[in-house]
Amino acid sequence: MTNPGTRTAGSGDPVVSVRDLSITFASMDGDVHAVKNLSFEVPAGGALGIVGESGSGKSVTSLALMGLHRGSKARMSGGLTVAGVDVVSAPDSRIRAMRGNDIAMVFQDPMSSLHPQYTIGNQLIEAYRTHRPKASAAEAKARSIDALERVGIPEPAKRINSYPHEFSGGMRQRVLIAMGLVCEPKVLLADEPTTALDVTVQAQILDLLDDLRQDLGMSLILVSHDLAVVAGSVDEVLVMKKGEAVERGDVRSVLSSPEHPYTRSLLAAVPRVEVSRAQRRAEVRADRAAAQQAAPQAEATPKGSVKDSGSGVAKGELLLSVTDVRQKFKVRGGMFGRTTDFYAVDGVSFDLYQGETLGIVGESGSGKSTLSRMVMRLLQPTEGSIVFEGNDITRLPERKLRPLRRDIQMIFQNPYSSLNPRLTVGDSIGTALRVQGEGDGKLIKRKVQELLERVGLEANHYNRFPHAFSGGQRQRIAIARALILNPKLVICDEPVSALDVSTQDQVLRLLSELQDDFDLTLIFVAHDLAVVRQVSDRVAVMRKGKVVEMGDGDAVYENPQHDYTKQLLAAAPILDPDEAKRQRSARQQLRKQVSAVV
Amino acid sequence: MLTYILRRLGAGALLLGIVTMVTFVIFYGVPRMAGQTVEQLAAMYVGRAPTPAAIEATIERLNLDQPIAVQFWEFLKGIFIGADYQYGRDIVHCSAPCFGYSFQNNTEVFGEIVKRLPVTFSLAIGAGVLWLIGGVAVGVVSAIKKGSIFDRVAMGVALAGVSMPIFFTGLLALAFLVHSWKILPNASYTPFTENPVAWASGLFLPWVVLAFLHAAQYARQTRAGMLETMGEDYIRTARAKGLKERTVVLKHGLRPTLTPILTIFGLDIGLVLGGAVLTEQVFSLNGIGRYAVNAIAYKDLPVVLGVTLFGAIFIVVCNLLVDLLYPLVDPRVRAAH
Repeated sequence: MTNPGTRTAGSGDPVVSVRDLSITFASMDGDVHAVKNLSFEVPAGGALGIVGESGSGKSVTSLALMGLHRGSKARMSGGLTVAGVDVVSAPDSRIRAMRGNDIAMVFQDPMSSLHPQYTIGNQLIEAYRTHRPKASAAEAKARSIDALERVGIPEPAKRINSYPHEFSGGMRQRVLIAMGLVCEPKVLLADEPTTALDVTVQAQILDLLDDLRQDLGMSLILVSHDLAVVAGSVDEVLVMKKGEAVERGDVRSVLSSPEHPYTRSLLAAVPRVEVSRAQRRAEVRADRAAAQQAAPQAEATPKGSVKDSGSGVAKGELLLSVTDVRQKFKVRGGMFGRTTDFYAVDGVSFDLYQGETLGIVGESGSGKSTLSRMVMRLLQPTEGSIVFEGNDITRLPERKLRPLRRDIQMIFQNPYSSLNPRLTVGDSIGTALRVQGEGDGKLIKRKVQELLERVGLEANHYNRFPHAFSGGQRQRIAIARALILNPKLVICDEPVSALDVSTQDQVLRLLSELQDDFDLTLIFVAHDLAVVRQVSDRVAVMRKGKVVEMGDGDAVYENPQHDYTKQLLAAAPILDPDEAKRQRSARQQLRKQVSAVV
Repeated sequence: MLTYILRRLGAGALLLGIVTMVTFVIFYGVPRMAGQTVEQLAAMYVGRAPTPAAIEATIERLNLDQPIAVQFWEFLKGIFIGADYQYGRDIVHCSAPCFGYSFQNNTEVFGEIVKRLPVTFSLAIGAGVLWLIGGVAVGVVSAIKKGSIFDRVAMGVALAGVSMPIFFTGLLALAFLVHSWKILPNASYTPFTENPVAWASGLFLPWVVLAFLHAAQYARQTRAGMLETMGEDYIRTARAKGLKERTVVLKHGLRPTLTPILTIFGLDIGLVLGGAVLTEQVFSLNGIGRYAVNAIAYKDLPVVLGVTLFGAIFIVVCNLLVDLLYPLVDPRVRAAH
């Protein structure tokens, strides 16, 4: 930017100004008010965080800022000005000149937001030349390489000829940010830019956005469902609920003394890496006891009353013993279609005792999903052994495995694709019983309905199809499906990572209640450190197919031994804005150290 | 990449071998299995008044009394190194790609097919270009203006086009456009090298009729593909860059849509090259398709066998071309190999 004076937040005229904005969609059941009477401003060089759950209208707002609602059936009223352009009434050509030039957008899913059939160079150069038609091809290329360099793509001059599929998720998000930067816009609008990414990558992208804002004097609008993601990067926060702004103010004051109850509940839902399992459990149990006292008859299962099984790790009998398992995949590549071996899991051992929860943390590609699939025996380990209740199931044929399937169940990551859309909820859950030899249809129905109520749904949901449910409800259905057979071991593979923070909290609470009631043993796989800490007795940190650190949950978190664990912990988003900024500089230090070691 | 090409070539050659074998067995082995004697089989080939001597000569000439494997071997030898046929005391040499002689008029099958190739080629290329451009254009406009009058009319016509066979649309076109209204000249074939204008105007009607049938299918496919592509995240990214809607559609939307259409196009062109039987028959164009129809009517087995093999070759070759082009169109395929 030309004027370095705009760096300090809050000076000058606002670049984005929204006044009394309402966006309405006509639907079969009447109008849906996606956004109602929203007002905010973003000063030049300032940063605003927009926070809300899915359906709160935050994405509709960001699309409207880009003028991307045009051509859809949305109706808009109120004022919306971006860099002097009246987005509500300006002609299409003016809006096009604004997009990418005055305001650039970074989208949620970097995997699908780049065109797979053009090189990234092509896509960057195109963005530049659209707004600088007089620029030569060489100049556009030079600018694109600069932008890639700026966002930390190594060897940008070479990588500019690569296709999107040749980059990892984090790198693709960097490319998308670079694409936003080539024309040096006044505002960068990032809509959930890190939701699809790993924790350490998330931290890197957030750090990058912060850097760019400081160096280029851009304004930043950061949209997220997670307050912790926004906390360290913005000056001001706007909390949205059902299309309306419920709270808006300085980030420190909103986070330290939230006024609106909704903000408070959002804050409470954010999983905190500094809260230990014991604290969390006590909290959940207390809430539950209070709820039961308030409505003693509402509770369907009196047996599930709160009993204190003692805090900490109560070791039961040995349930599962995994010894030195490895899983080999063949990777095709090289000149003559040669295959190379790749170990997704490379020598992992652990024992699991009745009633405990083992948390497995790692980033994508660390082998944690492969490991859980092996324990499920959806995959046969290449080497090593898996002993479940004294039976070696490592090489058991499928036919002999079937009765054992009853005891080990799994809850999958994506509740949108793990439920068959053509089966009713009742069928989805009840099928497992039928497969295991239960023939009495009425009994199955009764059991399924009982369980539906137990997981917080209603018995009359039995005949509905999955599309009628939200993400959190679907995950409850998936939980019911896993529990219908009364399993001994449940493997949860990223069960909450596709959910909003507040829904996440509810599902986690449900899981821990169910663990008490059904005496479950859990393997909890996730990339989110805070979530894992809250549910796990013991934690294993995985990286590149190996367990780098394993031990008592609190010990691992409070006194991490391995550098990688430290790096992960440093990357976890933190609610306190000042602490987050301190962590940011610490991260830079640590990253240098780790890259020096590697 | 090189391995990919070699593997594809190898697979294509293998496929052709299998097709040849199966076709051969169908024509020469199955009648025997069904209980026909060698003499009966030979009698079919001789013609109207088979004399015992002629039958004997035919059996001898075609090795009909040999086991099927030997016959196939002789056939393959004919294709790769040529064959000698004995007519009484004369020995006739049939040189390298020898698919045998027509029973009907004793002409060399390979030569006859090659002679007719330009007709079928001209028909296929012209019609192919027309239906690809026409179908895709209509499909793109329909997708962008989804629900408009244009979309509804175009999709209605497309549905009709898919449902109406060539012998209906072709004869209709002949009756009205050529005979009643005299808008277009009757279909005829003039070699391109002789007179390009006459070539195009003579083939225009068959092109349009053949293209109509296929274009309808392409329009529907393109529309569906385009609608899906335009909902992708990267289209939103393209719009967010400030690109003109035309660039968004034609650069970012069209290419992913065309990728699967390329596959169908390869198959369709291969099929038409193997003989657009109905079109050639309706418009009396002397191409491979018509040759095949005549041969079938006269039970001229070597011709039928030859034409069938040629059809198979075209389909395999066109598919091979598509497979080889695919990595150029979609870089992700390149990575997979």
